[in-house]
Amino acid sequence: MHTLTQFASTTTATGGIFEALGIDWKTLLLQMVAFLILVWLLGKFVYPWLMKSVDERRDGIEAATKAAAQAQVAALDAQTKVAQLLKEAQLNAADIVATAKLESVAALTVSEQKAQKRAEQIVSDAQAEITKDVLAAKKALYNETLELVAMATEKVIGKVVTGKIDPKLVSDAIKAIK
Amino acid sequence: MIGAFATVDFRISIAAEKLFSIGGISVTNAMVTGLAGMIIMVAILLYVVYKVRTGRYNRFVGLVQWVFEGLLKSIDDVVPDRVLARKVTPLAITIFFFVLINYWLSMLPGLDSIMIGGVPLLRSLTADLNFTLGLAIITVVTVQYYAIRHLGVLGNARRYFRNPVKDPIGSFEGILELIGELSRGTALALRLFGNAFAGEVLLIVIAVLTNYFASVTLPFFMAFELFIGFIQAYVFFILTLIFTSLAVTSHGDNSHDHSPALESQTDPQAGMI
Repeated sequence: MHTLTQFASTTTATGGIFEALGIDWKTLLLQMVAFLILVWLLGKFVYPWLMKSVDERRDGIEAATKAAAQAQVAALDAQTKVAQLLKEAQLNAADIVATAKLESVAALTVSEQKAQKRAEQIVSDAQAEITKDVLAAKKALYNETLELVAMATEKVIGKVVTGKIDPKLVSDAIKAIK
Repeated sequence: MIGAFATVDFRISIAAEKLFSIGGISVTNAMVTGLAGMIIMVAILLYVVYKVRTGRYNRFVGLVQWVFEGLLKSIDDVVPDRVLARKVTPLAITIFFFVLINYWLSMLPGLDSIMIGGVPLLRSLTADLNFTLGLAIITVVTVQYYAIRHLGVLGNARRYFRNPVKDPIGSFEGILELIGELSRGTALALRLFGNAFAGEVLLIVIAVLTNYFASVTLPFFMAFELFIGFIQAYVFFILTLIFTSLAVTSHGDNSHDHSPALESQTDPQAGMI
């Protein structure tokens, strides 16, 4: 109330609303000039640095965002490539396994055939050897038999028997032995 | 309580009070506080710039940078022309920080209890009409300067003066626009002054009313006033940008469209705080 009364009395006393409100043109001008100097000083020496840092930060964020987006795309590409490679690898592996199986079967067959051949060869060799041995044994037995027959004939007839004496006699003796 | 309230001698003066004179210019208590506010603001910003230049960041620097970045984003959003936005940035941001710090200085407890010759040594600069009016004049003049730079002298004049024979409605609209320019400036000055002055009075009244409980009640009102201070600083800042943006935007073919809906969309004063 006191203020209002003071305000009213000032207005009526001087007749100036500006004076009542405390507006002094010199002070106002001084404050405007001071403020403009402040704006100029800050605009010259302070804000450029702050704006630069903000711009750098924004650029950094944009670059990071771009890099992140690119990394995401690259990751997706890599994932696709990995999946593709995995698929190819699986196919290759399946091929390799199939080929290996075929090769192993073939190798097995070959080795079996070789082994069979070898076994057959061994058997045939053995049979030939046996036949040879049998023949040799037969021959030896024959010779021994002949000797025995000769000896027995000698004892029977009392003289040394030779092939010249009587082949017929010898053959008869052999038949008798048999 | 009411009796005690009635007997208290309030010392509330609309005008800033003179402390002394230098060369015929009165130095008021608001100017002293304004000087302190200016020193604080410059010190803070120089400190932040020093830290930014040396790359030594801390939370406070981050906070100031965050606010600065937010203000820059607002400028870029409101002013479509990026070159103009960068030009108007120093004024707009200085207005914001300067108004904010000076408004907040009025919340300092015991601000007006230091007396020199019965006059408080300190008084918030935002509660001095000289400052708010000066700031409004600077804004209006700056807006006109950029409008002339963009539209030319005649182009800018055409916003206010049109041939009443050819375009009577446009001519009337021009006159309204001219009155609007004056009222915008006045509103800018009075809004800030009114809020700051009312805030100071509110704190004094609350302190007197709550008496011994003032230390409990005042912090709430101070916090509220801090918020109001931020709002006022931002309103002054954003209105400066909006007025600049509107002034440099050519109306083009829509200049003859006087639809009330369109008018309310483009008029920032409609529904203003």
